[in-house]
Parts: sequence; structure tokens; C-alpha cells
Amino acid sequence: MRDVAIVAFGQSDHVPDSREVSEVEMLMPVLKEVLDAVSLKTADLGFVCSGSCDYLAGRAFSFTMALDGVGAWPPVAESHVEMDGAWALYEAWVKLLTGEADTALVYSYGKSSPGDLREVLTRQLDPYYVAPLWPDSVALAALQAQALFDAGAADERVLAGVAARSRTDAAANPHAQLRGDVPMGDHVVAPLRRGDCAPIGDGAAAVILAAGDRARELCERPAWIRGIDHRIEAHALGVRDLTDSPSTRLAAERAGAFERPVDTAELHAPFTSQEIVLRRALRLTDDVAVNPSGGALAANPMMAAGLIRLGEAAARIQRGASDRALAHATSGPCLQQNLVAVLEGE
Amino acid sequence: MTTEILAAPLVVEFPFTRSLGPVQSAFLTGLRERTVLGVRTTAGTVLVPPTEYDPATAAELHEMVQVAEVGTVTTWAWNPHPTGKPPLDRPFAWVLVRLDGTDSALLHVLDAPSPDAVSTGMRVRIRWAETRTGAITDIACFEPYDGAAGPAPRDHAGDFADAVSVVTLPARLDYTYSPGRAQTAYLRALAERRTVGERCPECAKVYVPPRGACPTCGVPTGERVEVGPKGTVTTFCIVNIKAKGLDIEVPYVYGHIALDGAGLALHGRIAGIPYDQVRMGMRVEPVWKEGQRWPDHYRPTGEPDADYDTYRELV
Repeated sequence: MRDVAIVAFGQSDHVPDSREVSEVEMLMPVLKEVLDAVSLKTADLGFVCSGSCDYLAGRAFSFTMALDGVGAWPPVAESHVEMDGAWALYEAWVKLLTGEADTALVYSYGKSSPGDLREVLTRQLDPYYVAPLWPDSVALAALQAQALFDAGAADERVLAGVAARSRTDAAANPHAQLRGDVPMGDHVVAPLRRGDCAPIGDGAAAVILAAGDRARELCERPAWIRGIDHRIEAHALGVRDLTDSPSTRLAAERAGAFERPVDTAELHAPFTSQEIVLRRALRLTDDVAVNPSGGALAANPMMAAGLIRLGEAAARIQRGASDRALAHATSGPCLQQNLVAVLEGE
Repeated sequence: MTTEILAAPLVVEFPFTRSLGPVQSAFLTGLRERTVLGVRTTAGTVLVPPTEYDPATAAELHEMVQVAEVGTVTTWAWNPHPTGKPPLDRPFAWVLVRLDGTDSALLHVLDAPSPDAVSTGMRVRIRWAETRTGAITDIACFEPYDGAAGPAPRDHAGDFADAVSVVTLPARLDYTYSPGRAQTAYLRALAERRTVGERCPECAKVYVPPRGACPTCGVPTGERVEVGPKGTVTTFCIVNIKAKGLDIEVPYVYGHIALDGAGLALHGRIAGIPYDQVRMGMRVEPVWKEGQRWPDHYRPTGEPDADYDTYRELV
């Protein structure tokens, strides 16, 4: 099997409202950053794959407009997933494994500011039994948090600790939307407070993947993808044990995460309580650096935040701060679907 | 120069019409009849709401059972700020409820006076909606309950007279649409009856309307270029079917028009000339009407037709 690595990563500054730019205008500087980092042009790429969701900004086929920023003429080999960019990266990884391409550009973006994200996300739920009740994303996460409290796995103080650590670490992240001393605030949906929730904002991210020696040419220390897998829970919330994430554990097992300890974990936990669930599922010990970037609690641009976890883990390997890192992405209510990748430096 | 970015309300409404399979039809019709049905899984457990396939084995499920209207809260969350869209318009609790004799939980809302009145393990019962149509909202909400345990699940054929087989589920999302930098400049110029595109710094093509990027070069466009107002018809068609609500007599001509200086053609109606005399290469100019924010149509200028070679790249 070919070795595939992340050789470049870029992201925008994540902001509460980006109305001065269209989606393609927001995306273009990020695409330029990653292409420049490896001195490639669009025409040099073997594959392009993106992740986005039209519901966020209410604009049909917005990804076709975003493609303008890639420079897609003459035609490029291109694909799109209506998912977080982490899943676009998965598709690109498979493409490189087939040998049909040696390099790939993966990007994703989300503009949540035009709509009410909590309401928009209700539209991804079971349309027969659940969506007519309009249970928003914070409400569903709060049900999960209360289940954790009832199981004795966390309390409000523990969650506040996760929030404080994340935003303190984000002080060193110039792209973060929330950093430093952020008050926990009032309950949004109890037991979750404002500070337990990821900020809602707009942003974009991109990575370049390359296979084998091509990766070594393009990057001094590629972040090799040793394993990557994604799994999903049963879709009915009421049949799940919300205090656990068996899909994360299975994906991690299939990605080889438990074969040797990791030194870093970038977890996509948009709520403090979900970091607790993920730590338990992944059996992370206290010596693992969890979300040194600040994680999703510092910036959570929809459809990009998962890809950013992979990018942040890779960037840490590239600069020699990590040798073996785990990256996780999630999608859907209460950690519905989970992707885990294991990255290593040589 | 900084220009204030345009923004406008955008409403997306989509009443999805969905057909129900036998399991969902039985469950939702049952709610209309104040009858709660679950489904028995391969392992013999009972799921409410019923799933069509076994979450553990993926086997198709069809054995329906009737279950109690009372149950136990397995987890809850207090919503102090109702938005008007969930079924209760006052502060309430989101709850997962395991109905007596079942093995899964149903998501709904609980009508309670305060979070102090709610706890995991508390007993609740269904409050039925007065008007029921065969929907999850036929359960108005749950309410606290201190009576006896409900009856054990019993077999139910799942057959009802006039069963619900199709549901229409309305949804509305409200957005504030903003077109970004390039299109704001285009729209503001258009309000002054000028057409402004943007030139690609690499290939020099002028995009009208501009979207902020050159799709060929993948670079931002920034240099604003006023084009037109005159242009050339690059291609056209004759419309013979009257569109609903459109106050234009057929046949009429709809064409692609390359405004002078533009790197691609835009489209518009061509009038002021019999429909069968419109031709490729014809020179046209926009006709504006009071109160309209874009040209109403284009009419011939009377200039000689443009040579094909001057617009062949734009056809």
C-alpha cells in the first residue's frame, strides 16, 4: 500500500461574521497559502476534493462557485462531499492509494453567519420522528452532558476546566475565534453554559496530500497517514448510550491508534462534554497533549473544523513538536459520526 | 475605497413530502389514534419510536407492539429560551423518555414549571395534542406523572383505517444573504445603470458579473472595469412558450450579449425589432425602466453588425 502524507495545511482566521467576503473570496487566500507552501499550481494537482454544506448559508450549489477559487479550467479531476472536509480528505486519501493521483488538494469552508446555525442543524435530523420538534444542536448536546453527569463521568466544574484549558491554549493560535479568559456565562440549554459551546463562526481550511517520494520532495517532514477510518452510530438517539462513543473507538482501532501511544490528540469536540466522551472512548491518558490548538472550542467553522484537526495535528508533526498524533473529526448530533486518523513523522 | 457590503433577508422554505414505510406509517397513524406502537427487534427488545431496521443486526423489522403512555426520563436538558419552533412556547425540558416495557428512548419535550421539577428517573406521561394528524407532534408534550406503571407491551397488528402513508413536513429557515465584496460592487453600479466587471490580473479576462475570482487562473480579481453599455448578440433563441406570471407576449427573443469590454456574455431579452430579424453579431444597447434594478431588455443600436471574429471567443 502507498504511503500518503499531509504536506501542507492552511486556514483562514475564524470570525463571527464574514459578510464582506463571499465564500470563494474567503477561501482563496487559504488555497493560495497551501499551494505556495509546496510550490504547486492547480494544474499540477492529481485530484481536488472539497467539503461544504449548502444549508449553512442557504445557497444552492455553493461549492460550484467555490471551485472558481481553485482555477478549475481546463477541467480538473474534482469531487465534493456534503460533509466536513475531513471526509473529503478521506476520499482524497483513497484516490491516492489507487495510484491514480500523486497529489491532492483538499479544502472545506463554512459560513454559518447568514443563518441561525442551531436551527439549520435541526434539518440534518430524522425528518419523521425528530426534526418536526426542532431540537437544536445545543439541546441535543445538553442531553448528552446530563447523561454524563448522571453517570458520574463529569460535572459542571470538570466541563469548565475543559473550556478554560482550550481557550488558554488557543492564545497561541492566531486563527482562533475565542481565546484567553472567556467567561462560562449563563446556561444556553442546561447543563451547558455559553462557555461549554464552540463559538459559531465562518472559516475555511485546506491541506495538500502527497504520496510516497512526492511527499518527501514537497515537504521536509511529511505527516504520514498511518491509518484512517470513519464509523457511525445508530441514527436513533434513543438507542444509543450517549456517554460512550463506540464508533470513535472502532474507527481508532481500525486506524491503529491503540497499537502505540500517541503524544498529541486533536479532538473535534464542539462541546466541552464531548471531549470527555472522546477521551474515554480513545483511552487517552493525561500525558497526551489534547487540542494544543485550542480545538473546536476556540474555533468551529462548520464543515472545516474536522479538517482543521487533521491539519493542526499534521502541522505539529511538521514542525517537530509531535512524532505520533491522533486526529478526530465528528459530524451530526451527539458525536453521531466519527473519523480518526493516526499521523506520524519519519 | 470601502463600500458597505449589501445584505438582504433570504427565506428558504421547503415543505418536504415524504412517503412512509409500513413501520413509520403504523407508528404515526397510531399517534393519531392515541396508540403508541413500538417494534420488536431480532433480540426481542422493544424500540419506541420504532425503527424500520434493527440497529444491531440491520434485519428488517415488522412486529409491532402497543406500549404504555407512561415512562421514565433517561436524560434531560432545560431550555430557558424557547424560540417558538419547538412544541412549547414557554421554558421547558428536552427529554429522552423510556416508555414502560421498552428498551429505547423517545425524544420529546416535557412541560414542567422549572428545572427544579425535573430529574433523571422521574416519571412522566404523554399529553396528547387536541388535533392529531399522524405526526410526532400529535404528542403535545410529556407531563409529570405519579400513577401506576403502564401495562406491558402487547402485540398489535399495526393496521388502522385510513392509515397515514405520506407526510408533508414544512420547514423554514431565515437567512441574511450577503453577496460579498465583488458582487456588492456590481450591484451598486447596476443601481446607477452602469455595468462593472473585474479583470483577472493573470489572463486579463473581464468577468461580468464578477464573483471575485478567475475560475481559469484561480486568483482573486480586483481591478474594476466598466463595460458596455453597448454590446453584441453572440447567440440567441426564440421563446414560444409563455412563462407563468411573465407579462411578455410570445414569441420573443432571449440572447447572450457580450457587452463591449467584457470577457464573457451575459443574457437578456432582445426587443425593439421583430423576433425573426434578430441575428448573431447584431449591436444592441440596454433599455432601462423606471424602478427596475437591471436592464429591462436590449434593443438594436442601428450600428453595422459586428464581425464574427470579434466575438467568436465569447459564443
